[in-house]
Amino acid sequence: MKYKESKNFFPYPENPQRGDYVERVVDPRQAYYKVKPVNAEDEIPESASEFQK
Amino acid sequence: MAQAAKIQESIEDLEKKQEWWWIAEKKRSKRLDYLRKAVWKKGAIGGNYAPGVKVDLEIPVLFTQMYNWWKFDPPMLRRAKANAHILDNMTIFITDHAQLVGYVGTTPNTLLWRIDGASMVNEELYNEPGVMPEPEQASLKKVADLNAAWAGQTAVDKVARILDPEDAVKFLSGAIGWGAPTSAYGYSGKDYEFLFAQRNGFLDIIEKIDEAIEKAEDRTMGAPGPDILPLYERLQNWDAMKMILEASIRYANRYARLARIIAENYETDPTRKEELIRLAETCEHVPAHAPRSLQESLQYDHFVQVLARIEALEGAWPARPDYYHWPMYHKDVNVEKNITREEALDLVGEFMIRAYEVGGFGPRWAREGLQGITGTWVWTLGGVNKDGTDACNDLTVAFLQAARMVRVANPTFAFRWHPKVADDVMREVFECIRHGLGYPSIRNDPVLIQNAMHWHGHPLEEARTWVHQACMSPCPTTKHGVQPMRMASATANCAKMVEYALHNGYDFVVQMQMGPKTGDAAKFKDFEEFFAAWVKQMEWLTNTLVRTVNLGRYKDPEFFGRPFLSATYERAVESGLDAVSPVGERGNCWITGFTWVENADSLAAVKKLVFDDKKYTMAELLDALRTNWEGREDMRLDFVKAPKWGNDDDYVDDIMLRCLREVARHSREIQCPCGNTWPLLPENVSGNIHYSSIVGALPNGRRLGDALYDGGISPGPGLDKKGPTAVLKSCGKIDHVGDGRAFLLNQRLSPTQLAGEKGYQLWKAYIKTWADLGLDHVQFNMVSDETLRAAQRDPEKYQEVIVRVAGYSAHFVDISRKTQDNIIQRTIQGI
Repeated sequence: MKYKESKNFFPYPENPQRGDYVERVVDPRQAYYKVKPVNAEDEIPESASEFQK
Repeated sequence: MAQAAKIQESIEDLEKKQEWWWIAEKKRSKRLDYLRKAVWKKGAIGGNYAPGVKVDLEIPVLFTQMYNWWKFDPPMLRRAKANAHILDNMTIFITDHAQLVGYVGTTPNTLLWRIDGASMVNEELYNEPGVMPEPEQASLKKVADLNAAWAGQTAVDKVARILDPEDAVKFLSGAIGWGAPTSAYGYSGKDYEFLFAQRNGFLDIIEKIDEAIEKAEDRTMGAPGPDILPLYERLQNWDAMKMILEASIRYANRYARLARIIAENYETDPTRKEELIRLAETCEHVPAHAPRSLQESLQYDHFVQVLARIEALEGAWPARPDYYHWPMYHKDVNVEKNITREEALDLVGEFMIRAYEVGGFGPRWAREGLQGITGTWVWTLGGVNKDGTDACNDLTVAFLQAARMVRVANPTFAFRWHPKVADDVMREVFECIRHGLGYPSIRNDPVLIQNAMHWHGHPLEEARTWVHQACMSPCPTTKHGVQPMRMASATANCAKMVEYALHNGYDFVVQMQMGPKTGDAAKFKDFEEFFAAWVKQMEWLTNTLVRTVNLGRYKDPEFFGRPFLSATYERAVESGLDAVSPVGERGNCWITGFTWVENADSLAAVKKLVFDDKKYTMAELLDALRTNWEGREDMRLDFVKAPKWGNDDDYVDDIMLRCLREVARHSREIQCPCGNTWPLLPENVSGNIHYSSIVGALPNGRRLGDALYDGGISPGPGLDKKGPTAVLKSCGKIDHVGDGRAFLLNQRLSPTQLAGEKGYQLWKAYIKTWADLGLDHVQFNMVSDETLRAAQRDPEKYQEVIVRVAGYSAHFVDISRKTQDNIIQRTIQGI
């Protein structure tokens, strides 16, 4: 699946080919949202966690 | 109602048992409780990182990519481009319930790794067990590739190549001092006057930079002359500063965007949604603009700290939060009543937690020397305003109260005491100490202001802005006073002075000739000859360290470069020079004196037993020391029983003063790159444990391997036998203005004796005596032997017990057994 197909991908208004991919992480001490800039056309790696709250 | 009564009853019960850590848990808000427990503690336990803590590899990869791409750029510009690339692309996160954001890694459990600091640190990382992110093999490969790319190219590699080879070998032996002569591992002060007092946001600074660029460009297009020539390089520096400020604003906006995305797409709780929108608005406003509220003020400060730390692995956190955040606290809580005091306390508590979670990868010697923490983050509270009036305010109290609720070991506080401090503030200070935090340490403001003027010539108004540059040393937060680099390698293992005086400069531990040949001690005819040898060794040791550091400082703009730090310094923004350049700084250096008191006690023991009483010959003593007192226990005990510092005994106290005055004389002969002095500052962190296997047997009766004294001018543990007043009297013989930069004093007090109102009054009387005698520092441990021994037996149950180690506090369970025992061994003073 490509980033642009994910509900957790948020394209930049000024450049929709790039955007933020948001992940939800619950580690042994805390829960948090993390984000990293990605290319819309790139494949989401298997290690990334698709989530819905 | 019934539940509240039950909680109150439980708190009273816990107070009786003095289990303050459980009380904190019950008293703090749900948010603070969550955030405090959410922290991944980065301080090493003994010398090892806690399970689950990993080194961050994303940042060094991003940095290296861009740094290599711009290889033809000048140092500061190249670094600005690489750091901007990090800020634009690194993973960022927002923890649930958080109201403040910003971290030096890409996930909460990561340690910052500055790849460009020192190859020897990078190599240590490769061999460090447990810190590689999964999958481990892939991470190891990544680290190996990065290390190969940076081998010989780091800041320390470059300094080492131009150092005198003999200096380099002796410095790197680890015997005479520690640290790294580069701002890559520096302790930078922040120009709070420029950022907060003058209310400059980053866009305001960019405007100033644009003006400077325009002016310089006009000049470079004018009539040729020598004044034009430096401007070409400065124009590139200004570009670098502007570039990193713009990237920093974008970085903050990334948090704003994430907060809005969470609020609009994921969060279902309306209260949290509101908080996230407020967080987004905060990050849209600061650091671009000057803050308008307490939340923005704290967030601005935290962004500045995080951004400086992404640029370099900062070992300290000079700050004065009650002073610089007071205007926004006062506006929000007292004037406009935008938030309640409880809401302000939540923000203040979280501000401390955000600092507590920060950590970077450090080499083993640093982890052993700073057990339980990742840097000496001593925040300054109290003191006076520039006009000399009392600066304490309700935010001072809020910080002291928040500290008791979040109970972090880093940051800690140091309180600038002066005669005008109100009693209610002193009570809050005492409550923190009584709750066993080990902080705040108490600093004598009038003495230290005078000291700053005496040693470094800071004008009175500037001296009054002082903050702790690291554990102990004061430094102003002003344009010409702020210090960009703490020069950590001018940290002297002072016990080597007397050791080398005894062994003709030879080091039997590292087995090489270190100091100058000052003569065979067995042939010394009197104490004066021995003392003269000590003076020569002292001069050699301090000269060697300071030479190294001066060179590192001088070359740092070329070998490392600090675009972000420069962009936040008024003098650098004005001049276009790197903040680390000595130009424009008044100079505020000091030599940290580890293992200092061993000199006075050892010299006194030799004087007494060898030269005065003639009970032993020097040859016998040297033989005993070289064989680590083996088979000579009776003789060793004689030396243990010789006069010791801290008992108001002039025999040894006079020797201490003589030593200090020799160093003070020499401090004016050696100069920093700004041309200013290098006074001594005796203190220890946990270097007394680190150096225990490096310092040989000494005439104070210590064996190789035994812990050294806990430092500063603190008497040896258990050797101060005449009570607290005798300790204060010995320490009061020192001129705390003219004899050195500051003097650390550890004291243990009895929590039972100091319970209740009577306890407070006793402590207050003790502080009055301390102040009357003109001491500049004292800090207290007030946790009973019973609790500490219970924590040794059952560490899981006592995870939150905090102790004062030396210039810093740590959770008791995070320090080594040897350090734990050393703290228990300290005399509990009845006052």
